[in-house]
Amino acid sequence: MTTDFLKGYDIQYWLESCPQGYLMDTEYGHQPGEREPDVMLRDPVLREQAVRTTVQLILGERCALAASSGLINAAPDEASKRFLATQTLDEARHVEVFTHRLLDLGIKNNELEEVLKTFANPHLVRFAETLLEVVDRKDFVAGVVGQNLILEGMAFHVFEMMQAGSQQTNPKFAHTLAGTIADERRHVGFGENRIGALIREHPERKADVEKLQREMSYHMLATFGAAFREGPSPQEMAERLAKAGIESKGGQDWQGVRLGEATPEELEQVLGDTILKEFKKRLQRVGVEYQTPLVPM
Amino acid sequence: MGEPVEDVHQLDPLVFWEHARSFEFWFEAVQGYLEGSSFGRHPEVPESVREADERDRLVTVLCNYCVGETIALEGAGSLIRVAPSRPAKVFLSTQTVDEGRHLEVLVHRLLELGVSDPEAEIARRASPSLQEFRRLHGELVRGDDWDAALFAQNVILEEMEFAVFHRHAQLADPRTREVLLGIVKDERRHIGFGENELGRRLKRAPDLQRRLREVRAELDPLILRTFREAIAEIGGPAAEREDLSKSYLQAVTRLGVE
Repeated sequence: MTTDFLKGYDIQYWLESCPQGYLMDTEYGHQPGEREPDVMLRDPVLREQAVRTTVQLILGERCALAASSGLINAAPDEASKRFLATQTLDEARHVEVFTHRLLDLGIKNNELEEVLKTFANPHLVRFAETLLEVVDRKDFVAGVVGQNLILEGMAFHVFEMMQAGSQQTNPKFAHTLAGTIADERRHVGFGENRIGALIREHPERKADVEKLQREMSYHMLATFGAAFREGPSPQEMAERLAKAGIESKGGQDWQGVRLGEATPEELEQVLGDTILKEFKKRLQRVGVEYQTPLVPM
Repeated sequence: MGEPVEDVHQLDPLVFWEHARSFEFWFEAVQGYLEGSSFGRHPEVPESVREADERDRLVTVLCNYCVGETIALEGAGSLIRVAPSRPAKVFLSTQTVDEGRHLEVLVHRLLELGVSDPEAEIARRASPSLQEFRRLHGELVRGDDWDAALFAQNVILEEMEFAVFHRHAQLADPRTREVLLGIVKDERRHIGFGENELGRRLKRAPDLQRRLREVRAELDPLILRTFREAIAEIGGPAAEREDLSKSYLQAVTRLGVE
């Protein structure tokens, strides 16, 4: 049964669907020749917001790279090792394309680590530390729950929202995110399938997985919450873009909200609702009950 | 995606250093020889291994290649955490997926040859010297010893695989040949990275030579024994053993770790 589902996650499938599929003819994740809009480089407020957002993406992807590569040795079967090899490369590609975006935004190579330190969200850093402690213990079940269900399962919706919001105003970034979203969908699918089977085989693991979920979800939700409270509001962003001749026309609809017109509170609310709704469903499918974090968003 | 890349060994060292460690470089490199292939070969290549004895010997060899590729997969994945730079981490992630692909295409070849439970068959036929190499390599990786683990993996193991796979491809049936030639192309990239990375570090820290010599002294006998076993199984004359060992020894000499 497990082997059958893993056939859908082999390297041959990955090669055909990813490098030879949706990444074909891309350059650092976007269409060749696409650039950041000039206003992103000229307007200090827009630029700083783009840098801050990109820093969180890089840190999340660095954590995912360390976790997925570290889990290869802990995987209980050879097919899971091979899937994690593809995930490792996906995560490294994400690190590369988002790092490249920082360079495109004018950050110099020798400033990179300092910029990451300056803008790093402390909750995201704590999340990464917790996940990597689990990986270091070679705990495959807890590691995949943390990485493929919590980190990727939650980040997936944030990426979707950012992608919808960037389609009109920054097609380069929207294209970069589209490839990342396609990868994350595969990782989440693997996590659900593999962990569902392992929890059925080892029901005694359910309690500590739920405890881990409670702790890690808190840090993820706190990271997203902070993202909306820092930097300019969506309306201010839209006004600054409009001054440069980039009309967002209220932005794309995402989950029934006009992204360019919503207040930060509305965005936080819709993102939180979506994440939690989907996340609870996902946990239910693998046989784990959602535990409300100690200090909800 | 741009022009196909040239042989990495012919690149200017600085160009290699700047570009060869990115996902973009990897993608361009593999796209040429993997496009249109399925599990490492073109689907229309006919099966020509029919004799039971030939099949049995090939299964033994492929099982041991699978052991080597599993060592490489686990090693490349684990080394990402200890790699000293971001580009080195990105390169190792491309190597990780290469090693995973090698394992997959070799397991697929075993299935084609009628092996119903490859995992069990690999465990049954694994050479003791290769298993011992796995144990020692695992210790280096777990000890976060970047230089020694990279030397064991990207120089010793990959050079051995490169030499044996390349020779085996010349003697093999058409399906196995295509699978092996695809793997060999990846191995060249891995060896290039290992030599380049270690070459730079050896220049900065000459004391490192002593450490790598120790590693070599421990692993050489295991690797050379594996050479002998593989060449005997693939039907190459005994004299070839020396020739194949030569390319491995040349690589080690290039690094000054005689």
